[in-house]
Amino acid sequence: MASRKKILLKVIILGDSSVGKTSLMNQYVSRKFTNQYKATIGADFLTKEVTVDDRTVTLQIWDTAGQERFQSLGVAFYRGADCCVLVFDVTAPNTFKSLDSWRDEFLIQASPRDPENFPFVLLGNKVDLEPRAISAKRAQQWCQSKNNIPYFETSAKEGLNVEQAFLAIAKNALAQQNSTIDLYNEFPDQIKLTNTQKPSGSGDSCAC
Amino acid sequence: MEDEFDDYQECFSQEGILLKEAPPSHETYIDSIGIIIIHESKKDGEDLKKFMLEWKPNDITIDSDVQYQEWAVVNTVQKRYRTLSGTIPDPHVKFRCLKINFDIIKSFKVQNKGRQLTFYDGSSEVLCSFLFQCGNCDVLVAALKTHLRIGTSKRDRQLYVIYDSDSPEYQQLNKSFAALNIKHDHSLWDFVKNIKDNSYEGSLGAFAKVTNIVFSSLDGTRYPDEITKDDLNNSITELGDEIVHSMAPSLEDGVSSAFQLPPRKEFVRCNPLTEEQWDSQLNSSGQLEDVDDIKMSIFKGGVHPSIRKEVWKFLLDYYPWSSTHSERQALVKVKRDEYYRMKLQWKSFSKQQENNFLDYAQRKSLVEKDVARTDRTLEFYAGDNNINLQTLKDILMTYVMYNFDLGYVQGMSDLLSPILWLMLDECDAFWCFVGFMDKVMSNFEIDQAGMKEQLTNLHVLLNFVDPKLANYLVEHECGNMFFCFRWLLVWFKRELSQEDVMRFWEVLWTGYPCQNFHLLVSVAILEHERNALMEEERGFTEILKYINELSGKLDISLMICKAEGIFHQINDSDYLSDSVRPILGLPVIGTNNLDSHEQSPFESPDISSTGTQPCCSVENVRISPDEIAYEDSIGSNFL
Repeated sequence: MASRKKILLKVIILGDSSVGKTSLMNQYVSRKFTNQYKATIGADFLTKEVTVDDRTVTLQIWDTAGQERFQSLGVAFYRGADCCVLVFDVTAPNTFKSLDSWRDEFLIQASPRDPENFPFVLLGNKVDLEPRAISAKRAQQWCQSKNNIPYFETSAKEGLNVEQAFLAIAKNALAQQNSTIDLYNEFPDQIKLTNTQKPSGSGDSCAC
Repeated sequence: MEDEFDDYQECFSQEGILLKEAPPSHETYIDSIGIIIIHESKKDGEDLKKFMLEWKPNDITIDSDVQYQEWAVVNTVQKRYRTLSGTIPDPHVKFRCLKINFDIIKSFKVQNKGRQLTFYDGSSEVLCSFLFQCGNCDVLVAALKTHLRIGTSKRDRQLYVIYDSDSPEYQQLNKSFAALNIKHDHSLWDFVKNIKDNSYEGSLGAFAKVTNIVFSSLDGTRYPDEITKDDLNNSITELGDEIVHSMAPSLEDGVSSAFQLPPRKEFVRCNPLTEEQWDSQLNSSGQLEDVDDIKMSIFKGGVHPSIRKEVWKFLLDYYPWSSTHSERQALVKVKRDEYYRMKLQWKSFSKQQENNFLDYAQRKSLVEKDVARTDRTLEFYAGDNNINLQTLKDILMTYVMYNFDLGYVQGMSDLLSPILWLMLDECDAFWCFVGFMDKVMSNFEIDQAGMKEQLTNLHVLLNFVDPKLANYLVEHECGNMFFCFRWLLVWFKRELSQEDVMRFWEVLWTGYPCQNFHLLVSVAILEHERNALMEEERGFTEILKYINELSGKLDISLMICKAEGIFHQINDSDYLSDSVRPILGLPVIGTNNLDSHEQSPFESPDISSTGTQPCCSVENVRISPDEIAYEDSIGSNFL
């Protein structure tokens, strides 16, 4: 792979309504927070250049609507994702309970090449708020059960741990993209093979 | 073939396609408009994919999933289910649809600047021919190229040859044209001479036959004779030149211009409906004299803020247009009781009841989360413990009780916010909100069918008005129009200032000059931004970003004027197809009217068509029962 080539990493943020997806994205990209964000309708994204392992990559971070019925838009936005960020609100237990659904639905809709090893990162957001409903231990247990997903506790409001979390996200996304390219390289002639095999005896090629 | 069909799935579709030539079995459908679908075999364990081309007449409604496989209805929290159904087989469809297995298509030709596509079979006969009513066949040809081994004739770039990958001859075709064995094949030579002498029309059509003869001459035992080969090459070169030179430019331009829309008229915005105008329309019992006139004034200029509060109650179907003053007083009393009764229902829930009523608790939680982030920058909703936020929540919660199955969906708080700001009365705001929701209900349904339909319709309209842009979007993975989702879901609430959005909504609520006028406004904006959208090969990501960033920058008055001009262009067009008419609520004419235009594109406009309607007269675009039936059939199709 040409190392000079510009690398674009596509990251999708998912999670229930109002867990702080837009806030996390804006805090990371613009280092600002306001509690005047509106509910996201449709989808939007921001980009940020970041250095990972001495390489400059562009993170393209996608923010989507949190209400489940709008996930039918998913496929269009999830396509080509390199990492999926799952977010829950540590003060709202229901947002933690839906994580399985978000993860499953992402895998169904994005249908990555290697779903078992597709990188997810979990963020427990709003740690600045009380009372806490989901302990770090419980979140970590969930992560372990899902093939050791990295977990970060964040506060988009305070900017706590946001930078670190997105650096991990970028690393995982980069590793994913590299592994996908390797996978392609293993089968360079995939398409040719299928076409040269099995000349079926169709009698339709007629003579005039 | 019918049986095989069950093992196929759609991989491409394009609408607005007129069947021009067809096998005898489908002659009755010639000159009907329909949709082309490419089906791909989905049998497991087959190395070679098989394909089938299908043309379906338009009166068979198409399941939305055919067009947008991307859509999947997903409920990620509770009751997970998907409705990614295929098409439901309709027994009648089988007889009407023209299905052609790709095995028998040997070549196809693009004519009339991409407006016509003709398929030929192995015996050089025309299998079928299609006219593209909106746009051209570029996208379909691109789809064919992705699925088939296709070569282009060197001299006639409009003639495409399908390499039959099943046949052993395929290997030979992979070699160059020069290596073809044609020495002893006199029939081919005679044929080339023959078509060389023929007229343009005959020879161009017959040129497709070269392919088939070349195919038939291959047997793998003979070797190329250099002289014959050169002769053939030279002949084909000359033939090609002749064809290129004899391409009748007048014919091509004529056909192309026949599809052009009439010139766009300029429209301007008028002054808003004033208090004097409004009062002058009220008779002594408080009844409005000329409702159509009032609506037309509102469409042309909106409503003056001094009477907006009153007028919106009519526009939002809270007050019947025909009501008297005393009837309205009585109505308000009844509606007030009804509202507070519904409000009491949820207000009187105990904490325990709420805990045992998960569906309710989830709706309440969503409402609370969204109310807290609705228009907080407006002074009316700003600050902590704002009483207006409480009212916003109470109305939305009461709406949940009023329409529990729909419940609360994101975007609804955006629609209510300006209404409450204007009404300053909880009960009035609720009933006006109910009226607005009745108009846009389908945007919020669980299966998102209404949004799918709108996005589809937007593309159909854009294709009619600006086929180049519409094609560009398809070619750049934007044909689903998802980048307009926010516009359509909340009627540009997120794109416009409070004053602009109120003006825009009241214009749309009049229903003038046609149904779904907001889609024409969307077309106007897209057309206005067309150069930027097609700049630098922008794709899905860039276009979505560009459209999102138009928020706060739109000149909505200008766009309404442009959209009005577009409406009259469409309405006055001689080539207005039945795929466009129902979207705007225009009467469906059947395809016969259109056919006459197709056959004689140089004829003067048909006076009996709707094209002669005066530009400002909108009375004759009211919905007919037929259109309602059509709408219903569309609606039920999404259920």
